[in-house]
Amino acid sequence: MTERVINLKTFFEEARAGRLTGIRCGRCGELAIPPKEFCAGCGQRDWQPVPLAGPGTIVSFTVIRVAPRGRGGEVPYAVAVVRLEEGVSLLGRIVDIPFEALKAGLPVRFRPVQIDTQSLIGFGPA
Amino acid sequence: MRRVAVIGVGVTKFGKHDRTSAELFAAAAADAITDAGIAPSAIQALYFGNVTGGETERQLHMGPLAATLLGLPTVPTTRFENACATSHVAFRHAVMEIASGVSDVVLVGGAERVLNVPTESATEFFAYCSDASLEQPAGLTFPGVFALIARAHMDKYGTTEEQMAHVAVKNHRHGVLNPKAQFQKEISLETVLKSAYVADPLKLFDCCPFTDGGAALVLASEDVARRHRRPIWVLGSHAATDTMFVHEKRDLSRVTATERAAQGAYRQAGKTPTDVDVVELHDCFTIAEIVATEGLGFFEPGTGGLAAEKGWTSLGGKLPVNPSGGLKAKGHPIGATGAAQIAEIVTQLRGEADRRQVDGARTGLTHTLGGNTATVVVSLFGRD
Repeated sequence: MTERVINLKTFFEEARAGRLTGIRCGRCGELAIPPKEFCAGCGQRDWQPVPLAGPGTIVSFTVIRVAPRGRGGEVPYAVAVVRLEEGVSLLGRIVDIPFEALKAGLPVRFRPVQIDTQSLIGFGPA
Repeated sequence: MRRVAVIGVGVTKFGKHDRTSAELFAAAAADAITDAGIAPSAIQALYFGNVTGGETERQLHMGPLAATLLGLPTVPTTRFENACATSHVAFRHAVMEIASGVSDVVLVGGAERVLNVPTESATEFFAYCSDASLEQPAGLTFPGVFALIARAHMDKYGTTEEQMAHVAVKNHRHGVLNPKAQFQKEISLETVLKSAYVADPLKLFDCCPFTDGGAALVLASEDVARRHRRPIWVLGSHAATDTMFVHEKRDLSRVTATERAAQGAYRQAGKTPTDVDVVELHDCFTIAEIVATEGLGFFEPGTGGLAAEKGWTSLGGKLPVNPSGGLKAKGHPIGATGAAQIAEIVTQLRGEADRRQVDGARTGLTHTLGGNTATVVVSLFGRD
C-alpha cells in the first residue's frame, strides 16, 4: 500500500502558505487537486506530489455580492475557477484585478491571500 | 423487483411557518395518508429528509420525532441528507424497500425550516453543502456556484441574462396557479433584469427563495396500490453523483450527474425524452433550469435558453416545465423539495392539477439536484 503523501488539511495549509502542490498518479499520469485515495482515472493508489508553478487562466468567475455570515465585510469579491498551466484546475479568490477586466481565458497567477487572520487560496495578475 | 406506486401525496403551504420541521412534515404526512385512504397503522417505515435542522432548530434525530408527532411512534425511521436532493434520494430508497419485498407501504418525504434565522445565516448553512476545506473558505456561495455555471454557459453558447429571466417570469406565471406556492404573483422581464446582482451574472430574481415547508408521499406495492384510487406508477428512479469540487467539473456548462441520472431512469422505464409530457425539475436558479432541460435530453446543449425564451417550456407549450411554479415561485424548503416535485407530478398524472393541469399528461419526470451539482436523482412516473 502506498503511503499517503499529503492530506487535505496539510495540502490547503501548504497552498495558503504559498506552496502549491498537485498529486500525479504514478500509473496513468492524472494530475489532481486535492489528494484522493484512489485515482478516479485508473483506480490505482500510487500518487506523487508535484509542485505547481502558479500561472493559469480563468475558466469561469463570479462576483459575490451576498456573502455568508461573517464575510459581509468582504463583499463584493470575485471567485474564479482557474486552469493552471500544468492542466489541473483550482478554485480561488481573485485579487488586484478590476472586476470589469475579468473574463474567461484571462491569465492569472496563484498567490495566497491574507484576509484578516485568515489566509486563502488566491489568484492575482499574471 | 416488484412494481411500486405512489398512492398518497401531501404538501404544506410553502412560505414562512411558525411550526418546526418535524411538525411541518407530520402535517404533510397526515394529508398524504388521508389522500391514500389507508389506515395510519398500515405504514411500515418512514424515510425522512431534512438538511439544516441541527443548525436552524438545534434538532437532530428528527425521524423519530416526526413519527411521534404523526402519531406513529413505533414506525422505524431513517433520516436522509443529500443537500437539496435530500427527499428525492429518500424516495428512491423507499421505492427500493418496497420493490425488494421488505415492506408493502412506506411513508417518505421531508421538511425544512430556515426563515426563522437571518438570511446570512441561512446562506452560511446552505454553504455547508459545499466543501469545507477549500470552497467555504474562498467565500463561495450557492448562487456563486451557479453563477460560475451560468458564465460558462453564456461563454460557450451565447445564452443571455434575458433568456435566464424568461425562466423566472414563466415559473412565477405558473406559481400564480398553485395555491400552495410561496409566491403567487406574476413578475415582468424588467423586474428580473433590474434586480440587484447576488453573484454576477445571477440577480436576485434569478434565485429561488428560502422557504419553510414539508412534503410527504405514501408508496405502496402493486397489491396494495390496486386496492386504492388511481395509483401512479414509479417507472424508474436513478441517482448519480459527481465530484464535490467545482474546480474538478470537466465542463462547467453541463451537469453530468443530471445526464447520467436521466439515462439510468429512462433505461429503467423504457422511455425516451420524447415520451415525457410534464416535468418538475430543479430550478434553484434560472440557469439551473436551462442546463437541466438540456441534460434531461429535452433540448440540444446550448438551446435551453432559447426554449425558455420561445415559451416551449410554458404551460401550453410543447413541454411544460415546472407547472407548480418550480423552486423559483413555489419555494424551496430543501429537505422537502424532491417529495414536493413528485407530489406535483402525481397530481398532474391523476388529472387533478386544476388550473395548472397539463392536458392528457400520461408520463411525468422529476429531477432534483443537490449541492455543487454533486447529487442528482431523476424519476419517471406513469398512470394506468
